[in-house]
Amino acid sequence: MEPILKIESLKKYYGKTKGRTKALNGITFQVMPGEFLGIMGSSGSGKSTLLNCIAAVIRPDSGSILIKGKSLSSLKGAALSDYRGKEIGYLFQNFELLDNLTGLENILLPMSLHKIPEKEGKKRLNQLASYLEIQEVLHKFPAQMSGGQRQRVAAARALILHPGIILADEPTGALDSKNAKALMEKLLGLNQEEHAAVLMVTHDSNAASYCKRILFIQDGVIFHELRRNIPEESRQDFYERILKVMAQLGGGSANVL
Amino acid sequence: MFFKLILRNSKRSRKENGLFFSSLLVAVMAFYVILSLPRQDVMVFLSQMESDAVEKLLTLIPAFYGMTLFLLFFLIYYASRFQLERRRHEFGVYLMLGMRRSRLFVLLLAEDFGSSILSLALGLPFAVLLSELISLITARLVGIGIIEHQFSFSFRAMLWTAAGFFLVKCTASLLLSGNISRQEIGSLLTEIPEGAKRQMPSCVYVVSLLAGMLCLTAAYAMAIHGESWTHIRFMGLTVVLGLLGTFFVFWGLRLLMGFFIRKGNHDRRLHTFDFRQIQETLIRRFGTLALCSLLILAALCCFGAGTAVFRYYENAASHVLDYTFTDTNASDVRRTLAAYRLDTMFQDLFEMKTGRVRTTEDTEHAFDTEPLLAALRSMDSSRDRDVLLNNLSYASSPYLIPLSCYNRLLAAAGQSELVLHPGEAAVYMNQEDTAQGRVQLLNRILETEPLTSLDGDALRLTGKVQGADLVTDRSITLSFALILPDEDFVYYTQGEYDIFVNGILNNHTTKHTSLLSAISEINEKLDETGLSYESYLQNMGRQLFFQTASSYLTIYLAVIFLIIANTVIGVQFLMSQQKTLRRYRTLVRIGAEYEVLCKSARRQIHWYFGIPTVFAVFGSLFGVRALFTGILTSAARSHLSEMMIVSAAMISALCMVEYLYITAVKRSSDRCLLGLMIPKREE
Ligand SMILES: Nc1ncnc2c1ncn2[C@@H]1O[C@H](COP(=O)(O)OP(=O)(O)O)[C@@H](O)[C@H]1O
Ligand SMILES: [Mg+2]
Repeated sequence: MEPILKIESLKKYYGKTKGRTKALNGITFQVMPGEFLGIMGSSGSGKSTLLNCIAAVIRPDSGSILIKGKSLSSLKGAALSDYRGKEIGYLFQNFELLDNLTGLENILLPMSLHKIPEKEGKKRLNQLASYLEIQEVLHKFPAQMSGGQRQRVAAARALILHPGIILADEPTGALDSKNAKALMEKLLGLNQEEHAAVLMVTHDSNAASYCKRILFIQDGVIFHELRRNIPEESRQDFYERILKVMAQLGGGSANVL
Repeated sequence: MFFKLILRNSKRSRKENGLFFSSLLVAVMAFYVILSLPRQDVMVFLSQMESDAVEKLLTLIPAFYGMTLFLLFFLIYYASRFQLERRRHEFGVYLMLGMRRSRLFVLLLAEDFGSSILSLALGLPFAVLLSELISLITARLVGIGIIEHQFSFSFRAMLWTAAGFFLVKCTASLLLSGNISRQEIGSLLTEIPEGAKRQMPSCVYVVSLLAGMLCLTAAYAMAIHGESWTHIRFMGLTVVLGLLGTFFVFWGLRLLMGFFIRKGNHDRRLHTFDFRQIQETLIRRFGTLALCSLLILAALCCFGAGTAVFRYYENAASHVLDYTFTDTNASDVRRTLAAYRLDTMFQDLFEMKTGRVRTTEDTEHAFDTEPLLAALRSMDSSRDRDVLLNNLSYASSPYLIPLSCYNRLLAAAGQSELVLHPGEAAVYMNQEDTAQGRVQLLNRILETEPLTSLDGDALRLTGKVQGADLVTDRSITLSFALILPDEDFVYYTQGEYDIFVNGILNNHTTKHTSLLSAISEINEKLDETGLSYESYLQNMGRQLFFQTASSYLTIYLAVIFLIIANTVIGVQFLMSQQKTLRRYRTLVRIGAEYEVLCKSARRQIHWYFGIPTVFAVFGSLFGVRALFTGILTSAARSHLSEMMIVSAAMISALCMVEYLYITAVKRSSDRCLLGLMIPKREE
């Protein structure tokens, strides 16, 4: 099977020659369609930079990113923003819902941005809303929703245009453990049912235990990889293994902010 | 170090916020222009002949100065607030780093002082130049080119400008700096979106919209129909109704936006987002928007009405007589003029005579007004009838005018002559102060050729009411006179009458220069002849005075209103954009291109400016019409449709200015959005 995302020796440096930060220093990996991949690492290790490169929000200095076999650097203008809106869905730590739009309007925003008639999205919307259990808050403003509801509305927005891959930067970072668990379960369900790949940055070992595979990044390079043995290994066991690696990383989760 | 920071920040503010800096410049210029009015060429010229009126106008200048002070305070306050809002984060950092609050306060004040000094230094030369330009242009427009141009620079005006500017600026920045330096560090560091306002059920807004429209309709109806101008109490009621109506409408407008959000063309990019943004500002800032709309309305009305009145006075200048010589007769005048070689200047010289009834001792009751009064009493009751009844009851000792003299006057004006038989008379009333309605009433009675008596002899009144000016000086008017055939005139006056010699200038005398300069030139020569005369100059001066005063002040006010309203709207928009930058950033993250964002912001700007402007333009059409009802004499009111067209043209011209403003704000917004395209580092 063709990988949906192929990253080849990606490099991104910040600052001038002297005292510059090597945020990404040659990263290579692949994501298969429908894969649930986690990325872990201490603060400042380059996780967000990596995600931003994939989301085409920032331009890497060298290396290549291939989406469905097509190079990101070849995309320009409208094609690029089309890519940002349709090929990928983005989940943020702080949800990034527009506070003056209702839940429904927030979810439909990508369609409005890409000039897709709203009628076409009606069915999809209903299906997502019922799956994510947000029907009651569709006509409320974000300020009137709970944190968990907000993130699920954000998830519906990220998924409305059937993206092939979902990028999530610490999606559970602003949620309590109960809501975090609920979100991860929904994400996992969507990943399995819709066959959408998920690429999730997290420092929450619990959230990470939902992944099939985890990459550990340090100083801009991948230094370790964990794979969950499905179906023999339970999520609990995988969680224990993650904790062990984190401990080896030095200082345990205490230094991972 | 502290000082360096002040200098650098002050400079950066000017660079980053042209809107802010230019509003400071505008303030300086506005102050100076109004204060230098007494030094304007036209005013200097007019004060020689219309000293009373000019004097009165000049005493109004402090009032205008005060008003400017008040209005500019708003302008500066808003512009500075925007300026400071943009830098909230920076101030938070200063405080975090341990800067004392009092020191931050001083820093802000000092920065402000820097830019104030600079705007004065830059603005004053511009202001002097501008007022000079206005002086030259107005002088040219009214044709007083021969009079020496006087440099209008006035040191006193400059001092007062500086004083006013600093007063306004200091008050605004004291208020704002105090506010900023008192705030929590946390609230400075993070952009906190204002909490959502609670919304009422939509029927409340429907009622508000309807009530607003009702109020406005009532207000305009009262003003146009004329009730408002009869008593200060009605005027107050009209104003209150107008204000209430405007605020009600703006308060209810959110409903319309809600409708657009639900209906509208959803397939357009960011449709919902745009209207939610507009709705939000309508909800939060309906008061400011309503106020701005009122300011624009005031500007449009001032400008529209002012220019129309100016045009009217210009056109209404049709006159026949240029000179009237007194204490003499025609042949003497002719001889004297010939002696000074001035006779070629005149195309016509003729006598005008007026006298009173001398055939009886009882002069006070020589004319029997009872038949006229009786006819009037039998007519339907009206205000005009009552006034006329009152006026005519004093007409029992009328002035008499010989028919031949009056016909000369009519001939000179190019009108057909009057025919009277012995025993007949025509009624003369100076029509300037007599309302058209009254003349029409009297004409209806005269159609029946009523029979009255003069000193006991039967007299039939015929023809229409006459009203041509008898002499040049328009301040000399006859409220009621009878035109008699020449023999009758000589009989009743017993040969005792006043003679005036009217003169009309040659066409070629006035062809090359303006009438104004021709008359002032001839006046100089006439002064040497010893003749006593009145020239049309006085009337012209009065007309010129009304022309310049009305247009100068209305245009001045219009410009100030317009600048303030637009700056406030523009600043409001940019400020709310600044506050909601996070939303735009999110849009970028979910795939919005720069062009899409700009388009969206531009659409919002259109609505943002459009709502108050369209509202004001619509209102101004009624407003100008109402002003005409209030300020125009009845004679001028007959040119109403013509004047309305002039006003409409002027209002459209101002809409162009509005467009320029919108373009500037769009640019500023585009620039602001461009900054978003580079992803912000999340800490
Ligand atoms: N815009 C930027 N300019 C300069 N340095 C940056 C920028 N963004 C990130 N960095 C640096 O790059 C490194 C990686 O950052 P980031 O990808 O945000 O890490 P993570 O998300 O893993 O915490 C950090 O050392 C950070 O300081
Ligand atoms: Mg990060």
